[in-house]
Amino acid sequence: MSGTDKDHIIKSYDSELARLTGEIVRMGELSVTQLEAAIDVLDRRDERAAQRVVGNDDAIDQLEQEISHDVVRLLALRAPMAGDLRNVFAALRIAADIERIGDYAANVAKRSIPLSMVAPVGPVGGLGYLAELAATGVREVLLAYRDRDAERAYQVWKDDVVLDEAYTGYFRQLLTYMMEDPRNITPCTHLLFMAKNIERIGDHATNIAENVWFQVTGEQLNKQRSKRDLTSSPDMSRLGDKPE
Amino acid sequence: MNDLAAAVAAPLASVDGRTKIKVRDVHFYYNGFHALKGVSMDIPEKQVTAIIGPSGCGKSTLLRIFNRIYAIYPKLEAKGSIELDGENILDPGYSMNRLRSKVGMVFQKPVPFPMTIFENVAYGIRHHEKLSKSDMESRVEQALRSSALWDEVKDKLKQNALGLSGGQQQRLCIARAIALKPEVLLLDEPTSALDPIATSRIEQLVEELKSEFTIVIVTHNMQQAARVSDYTAFMYIGELIEFGNTEKIFTKPDKKQTEDYITGRFG
Repeated sequence: MSGTDKDHIIKSYDSELARLTGEIVRMGELSVTQLEAAIDVLDRRDERAAQRVVGNDDAIDQLEQEISHDVVRLLALRAPMAGDLRNVFAALRIAADIERIGDYAANVAKRSIPLSMVAPVGPVGGLGYLAELAATGVREVLLAYRDRDAERAYQVWKDDVVLDEAYTGYFRQLLTYMMEDPRNITPCTHLLFMAKNIERIGDHATNIAENVWFQVTGEQLNKQRSKRDLTSSPDMSRLGDKPE
Repeated sequence: MNDLAAAVAAPLASVDGRTKIKVRDVHFYYNGFHALKGVSMDIPEKQVTAIIGPSGCGKSTLLRIFNRIYAIYPKLEAKGSIELDGENILDPGYSMNRLRSKVGMVFQKPVPFPMTIFENVAYGIRHHEKLSKSDMESRVEQALRSSALWDEVKDKLKQNALGLSGGQQQRLCIARAIALKPEVLLLDEPTSALDPIATSRIEQLVEELKSEFTIVIVTHNMQQAARVSDYTAFMYIGELIEFGNTEKIFTKPDKKQTEDYITGRFG
């Protein structure tokens, strides 16, 4: 069952549901813009701009509150059923994921401030690639949500493995820099946290994909996906033995 | 097993319970109009089955066939079979008295008889059984207790039933029906004339009564169907469109027509 193309008899119900979708998409767009802005201020080593990015997170939090309010209102006043119920339920969960994405983007911007105060380190550029992958995932899943496209959401869910692999590679790279010169430890530790934040953004994009899947199909997305973030595996501890 | 484990292990609704009423290819005609077109479904025992659908879909007609109330009108004809515990109630040989004692019915508008509260309940019992005065009193009390009315009427059993509120009258009608110890209780929009509090009382009653009776309820109120029933049947223009576990019907129906109807898109 992939929902229905008919309008509700009560027109205002349709406009309320459309408004909810619009709010989610806008909130999601804002979170991706925040992530891109965080990488931009990192590249430009612009402390004041970084502060602005951190401050902008309030707007995302505000949108999440509005969405929660709208969801409670819809549940109370419209008593949605079937596809409408899944729609409203998914919106609440997706908003929570986007709110976390916004938090991670703000964290990246926050850590760019101490980084801008020390000499530039080599691996900074690698973070941009991770952010690009994460931003693409979030944008794609937002489009899947807007168009109620379960297959597109599933693709995002599968593609997160690329971000996981890139994160693992970046983790190795940072370790080698730290082993090479202890003066790199402070900036590389910041970069490590930032990379982890971005990797988590990818995970939230997959959560959103799962909710889109549920919303459209009514089923949980229970397929198997290979885990490629290997940074917590015991093998990583031996990385120092064979630097790349 | 601890409570949590039991809660996790318990199925949401039994789908393999015993079938009480087996409806097979039922057609119904009145004055040449084909009102039901080959309806088949299994009504599970001691569960609540809701029948929903827009006006004119045949849901009340189907309910009325379950106790052959249509037989009192001429030019009405039912075809197919409705097996109650394996016996076809549409068979002319199936005694109407027996059917009525097994299948009780409550209508949209409560219609108490213009007599005392006690007599309203006792009246039907007398028709089927001869009881001593004390046995009759205890049977009436039991029926009024089961219908959650006893505490409100125990001191005024000799008063006229027409003095009761709408909700109390409806519970009296339920008491009247269950006093005969039926196996099946048919409720035809039992709360559509009641206020929300009286409606909640009836819904609570339905939940309590299902441990003893197989209940079939016709309702226009989808939230009510979702709240009180274990299974839901959706009908449209004389056909059964979908029958299934209530949770499934209201979260992920299989048929587009069902989805359109329950989400308010029909039109």
